Amino acid sequence: MNVRVVNRFSNGLELKTQLEQPIHPEIKANASSSEVKSLNLGFRSETPAADDIVIVEDLRKTYGRNIVAVDGVSFRVHKGEVFGFLGPNGAGKSTTIKILTTLLEKSSGKATIDGLDVDADQAQVRRIIGYSSQDVGVDDDLTARENLLLQCEFHHIPKDKAKKKVEELLETVRLIEAADRRLKTFSGGMRKRLDLASSLVSDPKILFLDEPTTGLDPQSRQDVWEYVTQLNRKGMTIFLTTQYMEEADRLATRLCIVDQGKIVAEGTPNELKAQVGADTITIRFKASDLSSCEKAKVLLSKLQGIEAVGQCGTGLAVENGLTLMTKNGAAIITQVVRVLDGAGISVEQLNLSVPTLDEVFLKLTGKTLNVVERKEAIRPNTRRGR
Amino acid sequence: MKLKMEMLSEIYAIFKRWNTKLTRQPILIFFSLIQPLVWFLLFTQAFSAIGGIPTFKLLTGTSSYITFFTAAVIIQTIASSALGAGLGLVNDLDSGFMDKMRVAPINKTSILFGKLFSDAITTVLQVIIILLIGLALGVHIASGILGTLIILFISAAFGFAWSGISLFVALTTKSSQTTLSVGLLTTFPLLFLSAAVMPLGLLPSWVQQVAKVNPFTYIAQAFQSLIINGFVWQKIEYALISIIIIGIITLGASILVFRKKIS
Repeated sequence: MNVRVVNRFSNGLELKTQLEQPIHPEIKANASSSEVKSLNLGFRSETPAADDIVIVEDLRKTYGRNIVAVDGVSFRVHKGEVFGFLGPNGAGKSTTIKILTTLLEKSSGKATIDGLDVDADQAQVRRIIGYSSQDVGVDDDLTARENLLLQCEFHHIPKDKAKKKVEELLETVRLIEAADRRLKTFSGGMRKRLDLASSLVSDPKILFLDEPTTGLDPQSRQDVWEYVTQLNRKGMTIFLTTQYMEEADRLATRLCIVDQGKIVAEGTPNELKAQVGADTITIRFKASDLSSCEKAKVLLSKLQGIEAVGQCGTGLAVENGLTLMTKNGAAIITQVVRVLDGAGISVEQLNLSVPTLDEVFLKLTGKTLNVVERKEAIRPNTRRGR
Repeated sequence: MKLKMEMLSEIYAIFKRWNTKLTRQPILIFFSLIQPLVWFLLFTQAFSAIGGIPTFKLLTGTSSYITFFTAAVIIQTIASSALGAGLGLVNDLDSGFMDKMRVAPINKTSILFGKLFSDAITTVLQVIIILLIGLALGVHIASGILGTLIILFISAAFGFAWSGISLFVALTTKSSQTTLSVGLLTTFPLLFLSAAVMPLGLLPSWVQQVAKVNPFTYIAQAFQSLIINGFVWQKIEYALISIIIIGIITLGASILVFRKKIS
């Protein structure tokens, strides 16, 4: 049997994973079980305040009289999660992260990190945060090791402890062999890895990543995702901004979708995706085997969790196929297989297609996220701090 | 107390960083040394006849223009090095390194002072080389070793204070081009409207008026007196007072802008 998992992208691309083996619950598509579990944990009202490391209430940042970069956002970041800010250029992501990292003063509202006010308690806030900016903040004239040692000095870490820490970090980001080379010879990915390492020298309580993979090649992007996941697994709270829905989907436990300085939606990736609609399962039968299709239709209609069943032969994308709509395709698909197998119905192909965050964004704002790489175009924007 | 110790270690870390950066740019070192040499040779050759004017000897105490002009070379070198402070800062702002420093728990003043101390070391080295070239060209320093040390001290202090201008421009405009043009535009007119290139008495009267309120005049006269006459404490005093006034204004303004802009 042939099982396909299809991610719908609004730009028309389809990402397909072919699975030759009969499916098991563990390979139920991208929507992993952890995401499913987090469905009911995502609402902030249920979480006690003690677990919130970042509390932001009605935060505003205006420039002059007319330019509003951040327009009254409120959110909380729980300890131990990866919290994402997803939005297009100019949505106010960088401004928000700069306010939280004490680089910019807020115009009004409340913003605290671990109970410390980002403006009033600047000095203390700086001791507990790590920050990796969009422009990679490393010194090209120095070697990788020198860069990290310098960051240790900035954080007043004693020399012997610093040396150990630097070796450890170089090891983690796989730069130990290039440690004594000047950065002039480094690739973009290596520089970003070093930058990430340098934001970790002080063992921060929370790490802020401003568009960590913008402008990186696919391999380096994978590397960064890998490190972020690793760090989070070790208990690090991470706040990240991104304009890539794929990145938010992959990394964020919870996320805010932001547009024009406002939060337009908040939740786990699955919650947000559920807003735009159902997962679609399409089953294709052997050509002109209409009786199997009808039989399957009757059996599957009885399954719990199936919201709608299409007509045989008029499946969305499949000839002589059957289309099922469900809220939780990843969980349902195993049952579908079991039912079909039990009834001895042979199937040619099985597809699961889940909505993407891109579709969520499209639905909420009427715009598509800009997924095209435009590093240079982004830079001047951030320099003004917006 | 702990805070002060922390600040010292911050300044030292940033000082070290800039020194390392400098040693990794040999071309920069080469040009910063070649520049005073060019000045020495160009001006002293073109203007050597000035030394023959009878009033020149009367006003300065020497008939060697090259001896007189050594002070101008030192001042020009310090002023153009002072530009580097602002340019370095703009570089850090552009590269994102400044943000990295700003989110670290360090005092903002340390970021500026670390750079200024590193520049001061460069300035002292440059002035030593200028004096050595001068010696080779027949300049005799009347105040001897102690006077030379005072020249080096005044140079470092003046460089420190004068850097404030480029820091201020760099922080307010965040543009290396503006920083460079403002630096060049202030250095050259101030140099030629001072007693550095020509003794006050030989300048037209309106230039004399300008020169009397021009800090370059007082720095130049201190250097000239130490090189030509020996110790004339009043001139040294005037130089130090000018440096303190410039320093308070330019560095004070820079620190204020830096704190405000960024906090």
